[in-house]
Amino acid sequence: MESEDGGAGGGGGLETAEKIILRWDSTVSEEAREKMIFSGDRQEVDRYLQAVDEIQRSLHSTSLSSPSSGDRNPTLQIAMARLEDEFRSILLSHSSAVDSDSLLVDTPRSNSGSSHLDHFSAAAGEAEPESDAGDAGDVDAGSFTDGSSHGGGRGGSSSSRRSIKSATSIREIDLIPADAIADLRSIAERMIAAGFLRECIQVYGSVRKSAIDASFKNLGIEKLSIGDIQRLEWEVLENKIRRWIKAAKVCIRTLFASEKRLSEEIFEGLGSGSGSDDACFLETVKGPAIQLFNFAEAISISRRSPEKLFKILDLHDALADLFPDIEIVFDSKQAESIRVQAAEILSRLAEAARGILSEFENAVLREPSKVPVPGGTIHPLTRYVMNYISLISDYKQTLNELIVSKPSSSGARYSGDQSVPEFDFGELEEERTPLALHLIWIIVILESNLEGKSHHYKDTALAHLFMMNNVHYIVHKIKGSPELREMIGDEYLRKLTGKFRLAATNYQRAAWVKVLHCLRDEGLHVSGSFSSGVSKSVLRERFKSFNAMFEEVHRTQSAWLVPDTQLREELRISISEKLLPAYRSFLGRFRSHIESGRHPEQYIKYSWEDLDAAVMDLFEGNPAAQQLRRKSGLYFARAFFISKIVGDRVRKEYSGTALLELGKQFTT
Amino acid sequence: MWAGAENQGNFLGRISIRRNQVASMEPDTHVEDLDQFHKLISDKFSPLLTDYPHHHDHDGDATPSAAGDAFLSAAWVRKLLDAFVSCEAEFRAVLLNGRDLTQIVKPPLDRWIPDLFDRVVKALDVCNAVTHGVEAIRFMLHQAQIVASALEQRPFTEGQIRRARRALAAVLSSIVVDERDGGGKTTERSWSFGRRGGGASSKERHHAPNFRSLSWSVAKNWSAAKQIQAISSNLYTPRGGECSLAQSVYIMGMVLVFVMWAMVACIPCQDRAGLGTHVPVPKNLGWAQSINVLQEKIGEEWKKKEKKGSSGLMDEVVKVEKLAQSLTELTDNFHYPMEEDKEAEMAAKAAKLAEVCRRMEDGLGPLQRQVREVFNRLVKGRADVLEVFDHAIKHCNPSV
Repeated sequence: MESEDGGAGGGGGLETAEKIILRWDSTVSEEAREKMIFSGDRQEVDRYLQAVDEIQRSLHSTSLSSPSSGDRNPTLQIAMARLEDEFRSILLSHSSAVDSDSLLVDTPRSNSGSSHLDHFSAAAGEAEPESDAGDAGDVDAGSFTDGSSHGGGRGGSSSSRRSIKSATSIREIDLIPADAIADLRSIAERMIAAGFLRECIQVYGSVRKSAIDASFKNLGIEKLSIGDIQRLEWEVLENKIRRWIKAAKVCIRTLFASEKRLSEEIFEGLGSGSGSDDACFLETVKGPAIQLFNFAEAISISRRSPEKLFKILDLHDALADLFPDIEIVFDSKQAESIRVQAAEILSRLAEAARGILSEFENAVLREPSKVPVPGGTIHPLTRYVMNYISLISDYKQTLNELIVSKPSSSGARYSGDQSVPEFDFGELEEERTPLALHLIWIIVILESNLEGKSHHYKDTALAHLFMMNNVHYIVHKIKGSPELREMIGDEYLRKLTGKFRLAATNYQRAAWVKVLHCLRDEGLHVSGSFSSGVSKSVLRERFKSFNAMFEEVHRTQSAWLVPDTQLREELRISISEKLLPAYRSFLGRFRSHIESGRHPEQYIKYSWEDLDAAVMDLFEGNPAAQQLRRKSGLYFARAFFISKIVGDRVRKEYSGTALLELGKQFTT
Repeated sequence: MWAGAENQGNFLGRISIRRNQVASMEPDTHVEDLDQFHKLISDKFSPLLTDYPHHHDHDGDATPSAAGDAFLSAAWVRKLLDAFVSCEAEFRAVLLNGRDLTQIVKPPLDRWIPDLFDRVVKALDVCNAVTHGVEAIRFMLHQAQIVASALEQRPFTEGQIRRARRALAAVLSSIVVDERDGGGKTTERSWSFGRRGGGASSKERHHAPNFRSLSWSVAKNWSAAKQIQAISSNLYTPRGGECSLAQSVYIMGMVLVFVMWAMVACIPCQDRAGLGTHVPVPKNLGWAQSINVLQEKIGEEWKKKEKKGSSGLMDEVVKVEKLAQSLTELTDNFHYPMEEDKEAEMAAKAAKLAEVCRRMEDGLGPLQRQVREVFNRLVKGRADVLEVFDHAIKHCNPSV
């Protein structure tokens, strides 16, 4: 059914047009106040719009010179006021907030980094580095855009645009159905033509802003001041950061992107100059965007401390990931300040990460605890630091970009500081990234701190055992993480391995040389005596002091701890390999001298099997001193002799090279 | 140690004649810096006192540049921020010139420096609030621009007047800020026919209240006045015996408080009730003289405007407000055709309004950018100083 006023209007057309417009003058007619044209009869909509066109045409033909004179025509003024109300009304009826469920479903490339943090809290414990978290959160939300298009039940018209942008992660949704957009555009077109662009922008901005505000609430974006955020506990903030990352993705890629598309669909190409669509978009989104960024900004300037590193990196990664989309959504000249602010925050987060790393180095260097850990086991600091740096290695992709300068080992920062260890990175032959050098540096200062702590042990043997345990743990952690191993490099790893071996040697020297000293030949032979050549009394003293020393070593070192089973086993074997042959040969040569005297059991208390078994008690960390048992009587010793030799050979073969070399150094 | 120093300070404070002698006896490498800092503050803040229209008489006070620099104008606020940025840079140089880091870890600086940067963090929130305040002014500007363009051509017709009236209502409602409520009304334009009866659906009405809180990105209970108060808390005038570096830290805190206060007075911010009372600028100090006078002048202006509930002291905003009020009066009594002199009066006011709008349009963007610049400077300065400070603390007390 064609509208009766359709087609070119003559003079009569103009009169009808004025009549239609005056009929809808809401300052005059009650009915006009009650009803909205665009929510009623479509024919009336067409009639009204044509009437406005009619009047504009007539004005153009009378005064070609001044297009702005349109706003001086009373009828047109009435029409514009009416259209502004209609425009607002349509916008309002479609301004419901995008519901959070449909928004949050869409979390493409859900950052694997978010799961790292949960591990950090356990970093002081024995947490293994994360290696498989990668793709778990990668939910493909392909159905999202179709499923949530609001009201209109269409989607075809914008599909072409969507495919253009499919290279990015932007996923627009239809905030307003197509037929309503068409109405809005037809109104905007007429308002702009009559010089009412500013009114149009204001109405559009205020309604859409309130819609965004409601969506923000659904997304849980809070209005927190920087002061508020500085006061919150970090654990609370970690949760907020996690939520913010999700929300920011939705905001940039869906909410803001959809707003941009909506303003384009309504305003693009209208008006004399370009950019009215952009003005409308920014009017709507500028405030919310600044509000959104405010949180990340506040985090980026919070006080730096080591536990914050990984969440800050998550935030940095999320924002860096969003940055290309921010550049697309806010691509205009007028939106420059938003792009600039996002870039500033990104660089501040990077700066924060760098600052925290150096803060961490400083903290490792100066960690002040002086109370020795009982039994010489692994220090909590070592665990903490190693877990921390294996988490760092999980973030190496980001950190390799952020960390571009070498550690300041010899820099002005530490100059004159005696507590800073010397380390020449030039020594390393392989080329290392600055991040890798930082990791090596952290290990260097960790070692240096541990070295300091080891001096607090009264027993030097225990100090060496402590260093052995801790450096071994460092090596073990590096080998356990391929990323870390690759970064630290085999060259430095070899150095570390050498260090814990040396510590093991030093331990054995400090703990066992005096025990073995009892079994030496020198001083036993009495010169000039042909009968035996051995002083019985000296021999008895030797056996007595050996027994006493061995018992003492057994008692104390059963309480010491080597937590790594393999290391513990190797160390025991290495001890046995020196102790047992020496004892056996001593026993073999001098036993007869004792047995021929009185109370031989007072001097020869232990068979070498007893010693072998006793060595197995060592490093178990049993604080209650174990009584050294005599499992087998001395006179059964011979029966085991042969099998023992076989057993030793087998052991030698599997004990590996690590501690075998000790024997050589040990005997020299 | 600290308690001892405090007692000594009190003691010295009582014997005021000796104060200067004692201070001068103290070996202090920063005395020269302090003198320079004093001088810089005088140099930077006293030009802000100049009464531009008189001062630039020979230029003719009607020229836009002269008028644009008027006391409390957007351009003036920018100069204020310029002055602040210079002081901040000088302060940072004084503090970090590396001559002796040992001083900054001793009382009172070991507390004053962290205190200063607590103030700085609070000032960052003021910067953000002001940024949003400028957005609110921009809304008013756009409405005023509609008025100006509606009244561009004579003779005025009924249609033009209707259009202008609607925008005028929006201008004035944006100016009357409800302090306690955060003034969030500023983003709404009225319907063309006052309040709607039953026409709007319940859904539409449901959304209407959301307009209120839009332009404020801070929490509901955030208060600009309380924030200024918090920035100035614990800011004590150093005693005579205090080192000159401590004086510099104090002065920087003072300048920060003053500039933030002045900015909040000029630009609409959430909850400014009681703003007039919160700036303890010391009297009778040479370097603070220009700041004293500025504070008095702004304080007077604030007292005049406070009762009415205003959107700030910014010159352009005040002008728009006045013009909008008289234009509202004129349009309310409009009959077609207008008397010649009434029409001329209205046209003249509309032209003035258009002129103020142009100045605002030019001024707000740079102002907003400069507020951001201040924000960035504060962040950078804080990071730089705290890094050195933290390191110095650890360096001097390895057990901490």
